[in-house]
Amino acid sequence: MKVTVLLWSYFRERAGAARFELELPAGATLGDALRETCRRAPALEAFRAAMLTAVGVDYQRPDHPLREGDEVSLFPPVQGG
Amino acid sequence: MRRELTLTDAALDEAALVRARTAPAGMGAVVTFAGLVRGSEAGAAIRALEYEAFRAMAERQFHLLFDALAERWPAVESVRLVHRLGVVAVGEASLWVEVVAPHRAEAFAAGQWLIDEMKRVVPIWKRAVA
Repeated sequence: MKVTVLLWSYFRERAGAARFELELPAGATLGDALRETCRRAPALEAFRAAMLTAVGVDYQRPDHPLREGDEVSLFPPVQGG
Repeated sequence: MRRELTLTDAALDEAALVRARTAPAGMGAVVTFAGLVRGSEAGAAIRALEYEAFRAMAERQFHLLFDALAERWPAVESVRLVHRLGVVAVGEASLWVEVVAPHRAEAFAAGQWLIDEMKRVVPIWKRAVA
């Protein structure tokens, strides 16, 4: 299945890209998308401990199952205010 | 609970926001907070902060917080929140929050809680403009 990964804030500069289009096997999870993204953009590895992850507009954990066409977002800790 | 959320590139007009306030009879407390951009970030002088939002998710997360606030402080009558995006110069307001409630205790507590939670879950980021 195809999923889109969106990178936010300084993750874009670190990865050198704002988005990745991934082809993942059926049954793939958010964690699988995260691993594949880090494989393509190894600079993101260093930020994994504090990385926040969402599918669509909701936070999700790595075991969250993905569906065709999902939009995964990866971003650093938020800083509003 | 009435709620009003504005994420905007436009300068924040506090006087206009105050003029637009409605507080029905029985509402005895209005707490407002303005967050201003400080002149230094991590010890270095800056000219401005540039804010970026994942807008659709930020709106979703703010509304989840408003829902939770209404549940936790059922007496709160309204919340208005404005967050600037884009470049905000030092001394300008990047955030404005108003809570209207019958009494000050819940207005202060709800406002403090809302801002703390915003800083934890709403996808907005800033970078220093030197």
